[in-house]
Amino acid sequence: MTRPVFAVVGHPNKGKSSIVATLAGDESVAISALPGTTAAAREYPMVVDGETLYVLIDTPGFQRAREALEWMQAQSGSSVDRPDIVRRFVEQHRQDERFAAECRLLAPLLEGAGILYVVDGSRPFGDEYEAEMEILRWTGQPSLALINMIGSGDYRGEWQKALGQFFRIVRVFNAMNADFDKRVQLLLAFGQLREDWRPALERAVQALQAEQALRRSLAARLIAECLAAMIVHRRRQAVPDTAPGEPLREQLRAAYRRDLVSMENDCRRQVEQVYHYRHLQRQEALVEVLDADLFAAQTWRLFGLTRQQLVATGGLGGAAAGGVVDVAVGGHSLLLGTGIGALIGGISAWATADRVADIKLLGRPLGGQELSVGPMRNINFPYVVLGRALWHQRMVEDRTHASRAPLEIAAVPGALQVAGLQQRKSLEKIFAALRKQAALEPALLDRLSASIEGLMQAGDTAPP
Amino acid sequence: MVPSTLPESMRGAHMRYTRSMTHATLLSDLIDLTTALKTDNATDLEQRKQRDRAIGKTLQAQRKHPARQLRGWLERVEIRGWQRRGQAGVQLYHVLGVVLAVAGLSAGWGLAGALLHYTGATPINVFHALGVLVLAQIALLVLWALSMLPVTLPWFAGLRSALGFLHPGRLARWIAGRFPQRGGSALEVVWHGDNLMVTAPAARWLLSFWSQLFSFWFNLGVLAAVFYLIAFSDLAFAWSTTLKLSDADFHGLLRVLSWPWHNLVPAAVPSRELVEASRYYRLDAGPLGGGAKLSGAQLGGWWPFLVAAVVCYGLVPRLLTLLISWQRTRHHLARALPRLPGAPELLARLNSPLVTTAAGGAQERAAVRPVAPEEAGPRSALAPVPCTIVGWSDTLDHRAALGGGLQALGIQPRDWLSAGGGRSTQQDRETVAALCQHAAEGVAVVTKAWEPPLLEFLDFLQALRAQCTRHQPILVLLWGAGDGVSRAQSDTWRQTLRQLKDPDLHLEVLGAAR
Repeated sequence: MTRPVFAVVGHPNKGKSSIVATLAGDESVAISALPGTTAAAREYPMVVDGETLYVLIDTPGFQRAREALEWMQAQSGSSVDRPDIVRRFVEQHRQDERFAAECRLLAPLLEGAGILYVVDGSRPFGDEYEAEMEILRWTGQPSLALINMIGSGDYRGEWQKALGQFFRIVRVFNAMNADFDKRVQLLLAFGQLREDWRPALERAVQALQAEQALRRSLAARLIAECLAAMIVHRRRQAVPDTAPGEPLREQLRAAYRRDLVSMENDCRRQVEQVYHYRHLQRQEALVEVLDADLFAAQTWRLFGLTRQQLVATGGLGGAAAGGVVDVAVGGHSLLLGTGIGALIGGISAWATADRVADIKLLGRPLGGQELSVGPMRNINFPYVVLGRALWHQRMVEDRTHASRAPLEIAAVPGALQVAGLQQRKSLEKIFAALRKQAALEPALLDRLSASIEGLMQAGDTAPP
Repeated sequence: MVPSTLPESMRGAHMRYTRSMTHATLLSDLIDLTTALKTDNATDLEQRKQRDRAIGKTLQAQRKHPARQLRGWLERVEIRGWQRRGQAGVQLYHVLGVVLAVAGLSAGWGLAGALLHYTGATPINVFHALGVLVLAQIALLVLWALSMLPVTLPWFAGLRSALGFLHPGRLARWIAGRFPQRGGSALEVVWHGDNLMVTAPAARWLLSFWSQLFSFWFNLGVLAAVFYLIAFSDLAFAWSTTLKLSDADFHGLLRVLSWPWHNLVPAAVPSRELVEASRYYRLDAGPLGGGAKLSGAQLGGWWPFLVAAVVCYGLVPRLLTLLISWQRTRHHLARALPRLPGAPELLARLNSPLVTTAAGGAQERAAVRPVAPEEAGPRSALAPVPCTIVGWSDTLDHRAALGGGLQALGIQPRDWLSAGGGRSTQQDRETVAALCQHAAEGVAVVTKAWEPPLLEFLDFLQALRAQCTRHQPILVLLWGAGDGVSRAQSDTWRQTLRQLKDPDLHLEVLGAAR
């Protein structure tokens, strides 16, 4: 089977590299307003586990198409000879700097690559394109024209008329905002160029679809992990005896807020990585945490127990010791030992707790006063965070790798509105369990992840 | 089968990863995987994908066992800066087990010693022994069962939390926290930090395991003390109560208690005669009063019952709860492994075909020096000049639209010529020749701003400069049709024209700029 190879060719600055970046999902493709940014042909193979299914080649744009065509026309020959004439042109001008761009873009075509000719459909057709289209026709390679809608104008009609004279297939494709389905449709359209290319392209599409589903699933998992971590997050701080209370509380609340922002940022970065964005710049308002939601509770702890738990433990210990005495005297004490033991144990625990807490073991005090903030009790908080996360994920998923602008995430208006009653109930159950922190288990995360994936599939999370 | 292309170290690792999944190995894996995934974040994602897929291909036989796959990965992967701390954590885990066993053994021995304390003055009351060694144990087992109930029941969740602090296993956790350098911090990944969401059940069962370990050894301590006292001292048991409990009723109760072993060890079921003979009232003379029908040696005959009761209601249930806790901890550790933050992504990298669409290596780019807009020449000489207008690439088709813009710039058109576009290069040369003949002071070339400055356009300008003997200013006029000319477009043109280093080459925007 012949491996499908497509050379993306055309006038400079008409979005060839953008189309390659979008189809290859490669943000490293150099895209610039300066003509001639792509100086050499560069291959973008789609490889699945070591097997190359197709190859895209980004090429430099035509620079002296009229002169090149005139050279070719000057060679005597019939239509049958035209591909050979093109080959001769490349061979004779390989070392000629004047035709470097033409030679580099024509070379892959001479090796059998299909032609993807790119024009800007937002600008009018001009006579200057005819020479390059004619050269491409001379190569005799299967070809497809892509009308890339770069700007706001719409000259698709006149372009379709002009391109229709040179290319059998003409498609409109916006490299900047083509969603995944449009990219897949375009790949399948490439299969129309040559019958024997179709199976490889269909396999490529299957692999891409499987990868897209996996990405969504991984993104849902990452969001679920982040959301759960943000809800259950708690920040604690030991309170020195001499420290003033309120400034310490404010410090703790500020640190807690920073933690949440950092967690959300990490999640964003990881979701972007799942979609192959490593250097994406983001502009987004920080997650809002109202002070009223942040109650900084002060508790006393020793061995990780609160004072009440410690007294109960002391009482039980005393009761057990007293019970032994009861047993030792053969029950003659009428369980007095147990009762007194419980009392002494409880009181001792209460009375000596502070002194024991001050004792340092291996340089660390055994207990003392402690301030803690979290977990987040606001019932709207998870929906706000989830809404923001889903919004971000959708924007990243829909973004193409041709886009170089920062990802601007507008402020989400309020909390996420979940349409389905069942879905809402299920989510609320999970959030309630997380808030209580009494029932943390992986299944909760699995359920949350599945619910989020369901919301993604439903597609009602798209930005307006 | 491991491909022979794998390094020797990895082949050795493959042999190891088939080892059984015990507590210790799972715990070690959990600790190592947590630290590995955190450290691995610094590795380039593409490198991770390729490395993990290569490892994943050797682990496809374990595809349905994510925990085993992850172990295989841990044993094969090499991550810069990653320290394996799993073994240190496991060592501390074993030490904590020993500490709890010794503590349980001592507590059991001590309690049994106190309970069976016998000076010869008063016999040991069987009720007390039963109360502490059997009934209390049954009560504690019930509490344990309640505290380990499924968490989905909200009422039990609160109870479990209240009972949680009674676990002796908390002692182990507390000790672990005191020794961060000796594996304590490694072991803490089970119950602290980012993993809590997935490790909470494993942490709960690990706590239970430690508690049951303590309790199991406690019962062994009790039995050891009982056997010691039986072997090296004389014990006499009796029973006494103020309640109206007849001998027959008490015997019936004992028969019920002895039912589990009555066939297995009939001698450990107290006989009716023993029950009747060992009842005593303190008002009666002597330890057993006047009703004593048995000798001291015969009163010691209660011990098989006592031992059987401790074994049946203490040791065996604790062994069972120990095994259950062991199994549940193991189950939850294995369950937590593939759910650790970052593990699902890792499994996806191991098991999904590696799809790459990006080009390898750095892209060769044109050597265009970036120019800041303010230093980017050439600029327009704005003095009014009579010019020959050259329409590049059919721009003269819009001559009417150009007029206003030319006038605004003070350009007085003397003649109109065409070049570029659909015309031949020969026609371009003729245009150049014509321009050289014109008497106008300057040449203004109108071009489409949205089209890039191609080399053939620069050729035209250079030919003009080279062929005309008279050095006339050349003005490149950017025309944006109805959309105007953007700053980016004019910058692009300015930068390109700058390469010609022609001081009399100027650029201006025709019409309104955007």
